[in-house]
Amino acid sequence: MKQKQVRFLVGSLLIVGAIGYLITMGISNTSTYFFTVDELLSQKVSYEGSGLKVKGNVVSGSIQRDPNDYLNVSFSIEEKESSLKVAYQGVTPDMFADGREVVVEGTLGKDGVFHANTLLTSCPSKYEAEKEAGKMHPGTLGTDKYKEPGLKKTDALPKTTI
Amino acid sequence: MNDIGEFTLLVALATAIYGCVAYVMAVRGNRIDLYLSADKTPLIVWGCVMISSICLWKAFLTNDFSLQYVWAYSNIELDTFYKIASFWGGQKGSLLFWTLLLTTYTVVVHFQNRKTNLRVVPYAMAVLLVIITFFLFLINFSTNPFERIPLPPEDGRGLNPLLQNYWMVIHPPTLYLGYVGFTVPFAFAVAALISKNLDDGWIRLTRKWTLISWFFLCMGNLFGASWAYVELGWGGYWAWDPVENAAFMPLLIATAFLHSIMIQEKKDMMKVWNMSLILLTFVMTIFGTFITRSGLIQSVHTFDEATLGYYFLAFLFVILFACIVLIVNRLPLLKSKNQLDSFLSRESSFLFNNLVLLGIAFATFWGTIFPIISEAVRGIKITVGPPFYNQVNVPIGLALLALIGIGPVIAWRRATLSNLKKNFLKPLAAAFVAAVALFPVIPLGSRTENYTYATFVLCVFVMACIIIEFYKGTSSRMGLHEESMLGALATVTWRNKRRYGGYIVHIGVVLIFAGIAGSQAYGTHVEKHLNPGESFKIRGYDIKYEKLVAVEATSVKTRVIAQLQVSRNGSHYWTARPEKEFYKGQNQPVSEVDVLSTIKEDLYMILADFREDESATIKVYVNPMVSWMWTGGWIIAFGTMISMWPDRLEQRRRLERFRREEMLFPSPAQE
Repeated sequence: MKQKQVRFLVGSLLIVGAIGYLITMGISNTSTYFFTVDELLSQKVSYEGSGLKVKGNVVSGSIQRDPNDYLNVSFSIEEKESSLKVAYQGVTPDMFADGREVVVEGTLGKDGVFHANTLLTSCPSKYEAEKEAGKMHPGTLGTDKYKEPGLKKTDALPKTTI
Repeated sequence: MNDIGEFTLLVALATAIYGCVAYVMAVRGNRIDLYLSADKTPLIVWGCVMISSICLWKAFLTNDFSLQYVWAYSNIELDTFYKIASFWGGQKGSLLFWTLLLTTYTVVVHFQNRKTNLRVVPYAMAVLLVIITFFLFLINFSTNPFERIPLPPEDGRGLNPLLQNYWMVIHPPTLYLGYVGFTVPFAFAVAALISKNLDDGWIRLTRKWTLISWFFLCMGNLFGASWAYVELGWGGYWAWDPVENAAFMPLLIATAFLHSIMIQEKKDMMKVWNMSLILLTFVMTIFGTFITRSGLIQSVHTFDEATLGYYFLAFLFVILFACIVLIVNRLPLLKSKNQLDSFLSRESSFLFNNLVLLGIAFATFWGTIFPIISEAVRGIKITVGPPFYNQVNVPIGLALLALIGIGPVIAWRRATLSNLKKNFLKPLAAAFVAAVALFPVIPLGSRTENYTYATFVLCVFVMACIIIEFYKGTSSRMGLHEESMLGALATVTWRNKRRYGGYIVHIGVVLIFAGIAGSQAYGTHVEKHLNPGESFKIRGYDIKYEKLVAVEATSVKTRVIAQLQVSRNGSHYWTARPEKEFYKGQNQPVSEVDVLSTIKEDLYMILADFREDESATIKVYVNPMVSWMWTGGWIIAFGTMISMWPDRLEQRRRLERFRREEMLFPSPAQE
């Protein structure tokens, strides 16, 4: 009886150990450092080449798109003390605009430019406004980024999605 | 009306506090008068919460913007449909909704059990009332949904357009029904511990509750995945977001619990384990709520109030501490009567399935809280993303998949070589055939591709195991009775609902595994910025961007629709119309994707961006086998229904056992 229990204990420990090993390896292979712009640039150690996530606000007027390739975007993000140039290839989120808080994920190049693979905008301002709710009289929030395009309006198309 | 709503919440709180004290005192002091009085409280609490909820619903439907909550989540133009759903659109209402569900469950439990088992049920009611008290306390003193605005505005701010989707009406209630449901088995487990009635009585009393909660949680997760798939416009369905994890972990632990209680019922083993599992499931639901509401971990599901999370954290630690003390105290009474005999037995396959499920849950938990831990320990915030979860959970998931096939077939106690051969030769042969057949067709090489290959082979193995089980039952019945194959299949399933219902659930799970593997490994996507008339290719589809139109759909909503023609092999295949919707009063447009779903693959189109010159950025995904997952979900639903269906045979057996049990406990347990 005793021996059998020991055997099961060992078997279970093996499984638990294997899972633990997978977790440890997973963490060390895939972890990404998360910094704000100031934190990243004040580090003594260089994080060139390793996976990084950086949070900052988009510098006003810094968003530039390649005239030949609309999806090739460059911009800067800043915090109080420093700013960081970011290059990004891809669709920008709906919320992406001057002054917005964004999180970019990618690697820092030797030239000091951050090459982002993903670009995330933080929580919609709607939620931030919510904290003030109750005190603040609600005004209409304008569609501040998108102006309605000068497109000709047609008859309603049948709803095709969902 | 609003005053009534606010007042009834206070009454509910007072009654709930009285109720739990009275229940405990009644049982301890053997006072029937107190018991009779306590026994009225669940209904009163439920009534009060119900009235209060009706008041809040009425405020939504009558556009009463003097309530801050209504102002924040509704406006005059909102569809009635969404006005009803706005009730749980934010923090305050969702807590009230939670409490409404919890009190409703409590009342049902009360009516179900009040004439039975007077040793356990009063304690269970007391535990339920303690939890209700916690929520009512929060609602009354921290997040009151009836908070007023002194000068009521004329119109509300409206519901976030992302939430204006029919899933908003389905997904949150489903998930909450699951989350809240686990309170019931938890309460009975604690009651069993306190009253020292530590046989499997509490498990049998709450088996249906566990199943129902599991069912809703499972469906809630799948509905959430579908919602994310159609609404968020990123081509995926699962992002390992902390809140998704928060709903996923209790599901895993509950799955482990569902399986291991079978071992306790059949073999009287794993008692401590089951207690710990149900405790852990409940704690995980509270932990999930804590994550969602504390804002401690970045997530797409944001709620506004940060402090509330810490109440949940405190509550969590109190529960954890109390339960650990209780279990340790009762350890001598929780001894198993039997022991595991062999690695190759059904008992141990259940043990391994439990370990594996908990392993996935723990890996997910660790990844979720890792940023906090690393910041506390090393001072640097380190995050882990989907690659971590995939790297860790995929291999463990494959082990789980294999166990789904092995578990139900392997012999009890000790499998011998001959019955292993009998049970597994055919499924293994099927898997081997599949492995050989798939080898030339499937790309191999990268880790993902190899895992996918392994997944498909294992899926065939498991399906073969299940089909053979069905075949055995059906053919033996056909041999005994003159029945058609389908008739025999139906009868066999109907006569053994728990068993065959479970198998059907397993079939659904296999389909989900296959769908995930296929869509993760073979998906592809392309982003293009196009002028009208331009076209591009993806996976044999020729996609031509035709035009962009703006349509004023309602007075508050403008839709910008891109029209694309998709053709395959030169012939027209599909007209896609992905769009962006602009809501007045919201500073953020919402993407509405267009999806053409087939068994083979989904063609998924997003209008990502557009400019005044009618050029547009189109993102196209080809996601293979996604529909398999949704089909798997419906099969799980069907299987769970079958195994939950009231069974007269089962009831008779239960009643007999119950009588026996009553004889086992003729006198109150010794204190």
